[in-house]
Amino acid sequence: MPPLPPPRQLIPLALAGLVATAIVAFIVVVLFISWFSNPPFGWGNAPDQPIPFPHTVHAGPVEEGGHAIQCEFCHRNVTTGAAATVPPVEVCVICHSQVNGGNVAEAADIDTDALVNIQRVLDKHADGRPIDWERVHRMPDHVRFVHEAHLRFLTQGDPRTVTLPVGHQEPMNLPVPVGEACSVCHGDVASMTEVQPQDGQSLKMGTCLDCHKQNDVSTDCTVCHK
Amino acid sequence: MKLTRRNFLAWAGIAATGAIACDLFDDELRVQSPAAIPEDLVNGRDNWYATYDAAEPGGQGLLVRVMEGRAKKVRGNPRFPTNQGKQSPAADAILQSLYHPDRIAGPMLRTGPRGAGSFRPIGWDEALNRFNAALNERGEGMLLITEPRNAGYARIADAFADAFGGRRLAFAAVDDAAYRSAVSDILGGSRLPYYDIANADTLISFGSDFLSTWGSPVAFEVGYGKFRSGDNTGHRGSHYHFDARYSLTAANADKWLPIAPGAEGYAALALAWSMLQAGSAGGDIGGMTNGQGAAALNDFRPDAVAGALRIPDAALGGKTLAEFFEEMAKKLGRNSLALGGGDAAGAYSNGKFNAAAVLALNFVMDSVGRTGGLLPNPDDNPSGLSADAAPATLNDWRRAVADINSGATRLVIAHNADPVYGLPAGVGMGDALRNENTTVISASSFIDETSVMADLIIPDRAALEEWGDHIPEPGPGYAVYAIQQPVVNPLSDLDPRSFADIMIAAANDLGRSDAMPSASYQELIQNSVESLGADFTDTLKNGGWWDESGPAYMPAPAGLLNDVAAMAAMPNAVGAGEFQLLPYQHHTILDGRHAHLPWAQSAPDPLTTVTWQTWVDINEQQGQAMGLREGDVVNISTDAGSISALVYLNPGTPPGIASVPMGGGRRAGSEYATGREARESGNVLSILAVAEVDGVGGLAWGGNRCSITPAGSSMAVSKLEGDYANREIGEHSVEQVFKTAGGGH
Repeated sequence: MPPLPPPRQLIPLALAGLVATAIVAFIVVVLFISWFSNPPFGWGNAPDQPIPFPHTVHAGPVEEGGHAIQCEFCHRNVTTGAAATVPPVEVCVICHSQVNGGNVAEAADIDTDALVNIQRVLDKHADGRPIDWERVHRMPDHVRFVHEAHLRFLTQGDPRTVTLPVGHQEPMNLPVPVGEACSVCHGDVASMTEVQPQDGQSLKMGTCLDCHKQNDVSTDCTVCHK
Repeated sequence: MKLTRRNFLAWAGIAATGAIACDLFDDELRVQSPAAIPEDLVNGRDNWYATYDAAEPGGQGLLVRVMEGRAKKVRGNPRFPTNQGKQSPAADAILQSLYHPDRIAGPMLRTGPRGAGSFRPIGWDEALNRFNAALNERGEGMLLITEPRNAGYARIADAFADAFGGRRLAFAAVDDAAYRSAVSDILGGSRLPYYDIANADTLISFGSDFLSTWGSPVAFEVGYGKFRSGDNTGHRGSHYHFDARYSLTAANADKWLPIAPGAEGYAALALAWSMLQAGSAGGDIGGMTNGQGAAALNDFRPDAVAGALRIPDAALGGKTLAEFFEEMAKKLGRNSLALGGGDAAGAYSNGKFNAAAVLALNFVMDSVGRTGGLLPNPDDNPSGLSADAAPATLNDWRRAVADINSGATRLVIAHNADPVYGLPAGVGMGDALRNENTTVISASSFIDETSVMADLIIPDRAALEEWGDHIPEPGPGYAVYAIQQPVVNPLSDLDPRSFADIMIAAANDLGRSDAMPSASYQELIQNSVESLGADFTDTLKNGGWWDESGPAYMPAPAGLLNDVAAMAAMPNAVGAGEFQLLPYQHHTILDGRHAHLPWAQSAPDPLTTVTWQTWVDINEQQGQAMGLREGDVVNISTDAGSISALVYLNPGTPPGIASVPMGGGRRAGSEYATGREARESGNVLSILAVAEVDGVGGLAWGGNRCSITPAGSSMAVSKLEGDYANREIGEHSVEQVFKTAGGGH
């Protein structure tokens, strides 16, 4: 074993080692995040939201106690633009100005916690404060994803049967209504009390390429990458 | 610390570790719901709606881009027959009238002294109750003042005024009464004619700034572009312009002939004589001269009228006036066009003679009703609605003021009209409306000099929020019925209502529904469209309905030239002073109607590039001889009053001429209109003498003499250009003329 260098040379070496370790750790973390980018830190679980939002109540079928609100009523840019957009608090108040503790407190089937949460939404609106939701589905910054184009593919065109390499990969008869089109990638959100990524659905680049190739869509880098 | 590779890696590692430790990614994982619905958050789709802008001279068809329920942009409607896809520079400002911060939000009731501008908001129920009560108690003899409108609106407004025993007067600061009267006498009917500039070979214009504000300027500009580029004729057209003022039209002409103010009629008849003499005249020469030929105009030989015209020799290029006119006459013929006679040319005591002479010259050219000539517009519109949009004359306003002062009129309702600002102070409209015995109601969207007098304000919808129908005046030579459709709803904090519908509702409430032509303005428009056999929706998409059957050739009336020659008179000068005061409509503010719109105020004047201020344009050498410099504040005084303005020295302006734009000096309403000091913003209309055009009764606003005296202060002129001296190229003959010429007109 060669002799150790003198201590005054050892300290810089130790520091350099620490720095190198930190850099390598950083790179590993970044790669890890990139690979599991959906979601990066939730590891597939639904993140906690600042105010619980049960999609079951809002978008679920009427026969199951929901209100069957269409996806695009709240995510109103989803059929026309790149981002689906989360609704402004004012959109919540369109209904909750009527559906709130003051109007429905007597109803037997109303959950008290729900009324408290509705009031929190109303307070946010009254105070002009935004709600900071935790993002569930996220694309890396270098990716451009246009909801409108994908919904157009799923909801328009001649009747056809396809098996898409996303979700449950079962044959689908296209075109489908907007709500069903959303669930291809997002899963059956209307049945989720807390929104989380679809089981087995990574929404990584491989999925995109598989689907584009299968449907004769360009796989040129610039189609998706900024 | 020295930057080594090792140091670099160390700091990069520290930065990355720190970033992770400080939750750099937290924001990446968050998505925010804003509290309110932001209109522009969504990348929505735009819709373009066709509508009509009646606030610009001649009107224009527009397309309005609407996104998320808000109007964003306007452009000319390419299908519309007059403006053909182009729009005036002030058209864009129509958006500002929609979103203006000073727009009246809802009904208001006066709380302070009349004219003090103290109002309190009230609800519509109370406002309409008060409106109906005023009509019920004071309707007999009432005066309804509107902007010049025809078609369905005019039918409703006239029926409303009649139903309550009152009358309607349409207000425009520039009434063109002399021109209208001459058109009626010579062409017949009430419609103003169109000028087919695009297909003309040679254009002679007289005292009318048709490339800026006169007639239907956007339509004329479109035609002028084709005329100059030879799109239709295959060669570039020649343009001569006779005018005392260095206007935008004068600046565009091949040859501007600066004549004595009000001498346009003499120039037109001298040219007619020269054409008859040169053999280039057409049509039934014998008929129009009662068999006399050129002798009918012997009094107008160029050498006989040279003293009246006072065209500087240098402007004639070394020729005598007779030689110059003879040379012009040889170029003229059937494909020539004489344009104008209105605007300033018709604003002198002899205005009707000037207008008639120019119209007569078209008959000498044999161009009336021909391609490339003067095109009379059909008097009858197939919609069955009247096309007459003639403003009231000075005489009408004097009678109206007398009626108010005598108590015969106890109720005055003003809708989008500001006669207190636009009439000469000597008419006394402002004083009459201060009479507390008269109830004043305004239906304007903005406070102005008239609405500030109101006891009650019931704000109308803006043009882009309201139905409207219009027969463009002048039309393009054939029948047009233009539709103005609402393209947006008012902003949520505004609560205006259609005044046309208020008139109908009031008549219904007070038991006079039989007098009204329909149950709503929209219904009247729809019925009118359907009476044309047109589909209403398709008509809305096109911006209106039109039938492109052109006018027929019109021969000259018998003895026309003899009759016009008999009208000849030189203009009466009103007052004294070393300058002839020539007001003119501002290129974008016009007669002041757009003074509250900042885009209209900040659009540079095309000739001087001045913005926001009122300036007096005088000859550079004459001004320097008076010791004046640009930006000096001067008092412009006529017999009727005095205003202040800033000096603008212009080598192109003839000596003895003081040109002042209208539209300044507003003292009530939006800060954009009133926010200038009195010394840099004056209302030239207020100092005009109450003088009439002979035989017509219109205001002779061009005939005032004035003096210009320094006020002892100076301020920067708000303009974009440098000094003229920096731009001079020394080749412009007219510029050389006025840099060296002495004396004045």
